[in-house]
Amino acid sequence: MSDIKISVKIDGKDYVFSGPQTILEACKSASIEIPALCFMEGLNKEAACSICVVEVKGARTLIRSCVTNITDKMEIYTHTQRVREARRVNLELLLAGHPKDCLACGRNETCELRKMAADMGIREVRFPKVQKTEHQIDRTSVSIVRDPNKCILCGRCVSMCSSVQGVEAIAFTGRGKNSKVSTFFEEGLANSVCVNCGQCAAVCPTGAIVEQNAVDDVWKALSDPGKFVVVEVAPAVRAALGEEFQMPAGSLVTAKLAEALKKVGFYKVFDTQFTADLTIMEEGHELISRIKNKGTLPMITSCSPGWVKFAEHFFPGIIPNISTCKSPQQMFGAVAKSYYAKKFNIDPRKIVVVSIMPCTAKKFEARRPEMRSAFDYWQEEMKLSEKEAFYDVDHVLTTREAARMIKEAGIDFVSLKGGDFDEPLGISTGAAVIFGATGGVMEAALRTAYEVLTGKELEKLDFMDLRGLEGIKVCDVEISGSVLKVAVANSLKNARKLLEEVQEGRSPYAFIEIMTCPGGCIGGGGQPHALDNTVKKMRMEAIYREDHGKKLRKSHQNPAVTALYKEFLGEPLGELSHHLLHTSYSERRETSYGKR
Amino acid sequence: MKELDAIIKKYEGKPGRLLCIIEDAQKIEPRKYLERDVLEYIARKTRTSVSKIYNIITFYAFFNLFPQGEHSIVVCRGTACHTRGSKDIQDFLLRYFGFGDGVEGQQASLTTKDNKFTLKTVACFGQCALAPVVEIDGKIYSRMTQEKLKAIIKGMDNKKKKK
Repeated sequence: MSDIKISVKIDGKDYVFSGPQTILEACKSASIEIPALCFMEGLNKEAACSICVVEVKGARTLIRSCVTNITDKMEIYTHTQRVREARRVNLELLLAGHPKDCLACGRNETCELRKMAADMGIREVRFPKVQKTEHQIDRTSVSIVRDPNKCILCGRCVSMCSSVQGVEAIAFTGRGKNSKVSTFFEEGLANSVCVNCGQCAAVCPTGAIVEQNAVDDVWKALSDPGKFVVVEVAPAVRAALGEEFQMPAGSLVTAKLAEALKKVGFYKVFDTQFTADLTIMEEGHELISRIKNKGTLPMITSCSPGWVKFAEHFFPGIIPNISTCKSPQQMFGAVAKSYYAKKFNIDPRKIVVVSIMPCTAKKFEARRPEMRSAFDYWQEEMKLSEKEAFYDVDHVLTTREAARMIKEAGIDFVSLKGGDFDEPLGISTGAAVIFGATGGVMEAALRTAYEVLTGKELEKLDFMDLRGLEGIKVCDVEISGSVLKVAVANSLKNARKLLEEVQEGRSPYAFIEIMTCPGGCIGGGGQPHALDNTVKKMRMEAIYREDHGKKLRKSHQNPAVTALYKEFLGEPLGELSHHLLHTSYSERRETSYGKR
Repeated sequence: MKELDAIIKKYEGKPGRLLCIIEDAQKIEPRKYLERDVLEYIARKTRTSVSKIYNIITFYAFFNLFPQGEHSIVVCRGTACHTRGSKDIQDFLLRYFGFGDGVEGQQASLTTKDNKFTLKTVACFGQCALAPVVEIDGKIYSRMTQEKLKAIIKGMDNKKKKK
């Protein structure tokens, strides 16, 4: 098919394209960018916005370039007077119904609608606002806020939620001017099957879907002299934060980030990578123990809270397969308020743990009622009442929110020389860095499991089969003569394929890694807005670059983790680990098809 | 739910069955509306997400999410009827039933407190030559006026009282 040559004239110039493709795609490869608001490569072809219209010779009407394929000898005109006037009218119609409070909008710097209005030089909107009723803002979720008043009905979020994630929490409702995106019976995201992944917010062109803002809470904690506010930063943040400061995609800003957070005012700047290494110690040993003791297999990773909630809604039958290890974020909170508090003699009630995550689901995870292990640990010893209960992690910021704090603090991020993370909870290995990309947790686990099981040094640390943006990746690893079959999935639609095999008892794998978001955490719902896969690839490369640059690249080599076991925890899967670092999951009543 | 099972079975394997199922499910409910439980049941049985079902029932004016009155009055607000005064007829009915005026477009259907009447609008009945048109309990009344309407509604009220 693809060797068919199609000759097309675009704006008077001749081009030859191979194989069927849309006018929009053909123009893009001819370096002509056709503006579009609803279209998104590989995701959305709603043809809803009518901005991408072009003129085609012989056609009676203007043509939507996102859904029309090129044909041989087609003559396309991309910016004639007629095209430009139509685009302008269509954009003005969208703007007529859109609020004009851009200055106070969460997307005021990154809004595609605002940028398009700027690019088209809109100075006046000729149409009055027709929609007089205000839609209710959905604030039910701890992760995401949806404001249908700012929605342009492009349909990207609906496509993302259904065709990429297979969750279907949201859909279009109503008709005509009463159309909006909503949940079943308008009950809000928190009462739906929403897994809080935030991919809807990641693809939203406007400020209609944004994260729940925790910035104010963090500033408030920082200004309290009685608190020790410590921060932990997830691996994927350092490979993307630079983009918020106009640095090129793929910039590694690890050192700048550490310095910036010090300047913002955090008491200690720690690293979620420390507990990523700890996760590998626990999870690796859990896998070994399941294999040795004929426990439930395949074991499935539990780092990605969107996926964990997904399992609780959609696959409760496989809950025994999910590793009982908490995610690195939650292990950090528990360790900071127990081990660290004890070691440095700080009242755990005075410690405030802030995490910076590429993720919106982490906000939900931190508020799961069972995530207060440090409180349980101290309760008896300190004679604490239930009223004094505190969460392990107090506040969760997305990468985008962290950038806003750095900007608000007046820090010139790009010109920072850079600093170090604090000891001991800031020490990490390369194995922890790669948690940020799909396949990374698996690779890190294999590096450690291999050496623990064989007692020999692993020569080739890079598991290339497990890297890249592919939806499902598999690998056979030979460990002391036997083969360990592993699989990795990113995005929940891909995960579903592996999970159906597990549910039906025909999964050939011993160990499965699942990441909720396309590309893993580097493509998380809390990351800087980037619709292009090339940006994800560059972030991914940055992650592996950081791993390569680390002196220690295996979790069991982390000296601070070794010390933590020696001074406090004892051994992996030990009694204290069980209380502080492991958790349980439970079936949720909501399914795609209503309550169970 | 037995009745529902029968409905779902009736349309098994047929394309576009979801609309038929929902339509029949509304018909068998005495007050002609779709309850949450019913929708969830249909979702489960047809393996359709509840958000998709909600998408469908909120799209079509025919489907009701709230209990309907004993009598339904549907005013056509299509172009032809509009030019022949259907807005006045609608406003008259809104006042007559005490719904206040100017609520058009905000709510698809309004039901009186005594559950006797439900007032709805529709885009077009396809009876433009007879405009303005009002449908009362499934019957189309043509060249409608406020006086005619008043008489019909009073008639329905009286019939009730005699019973």
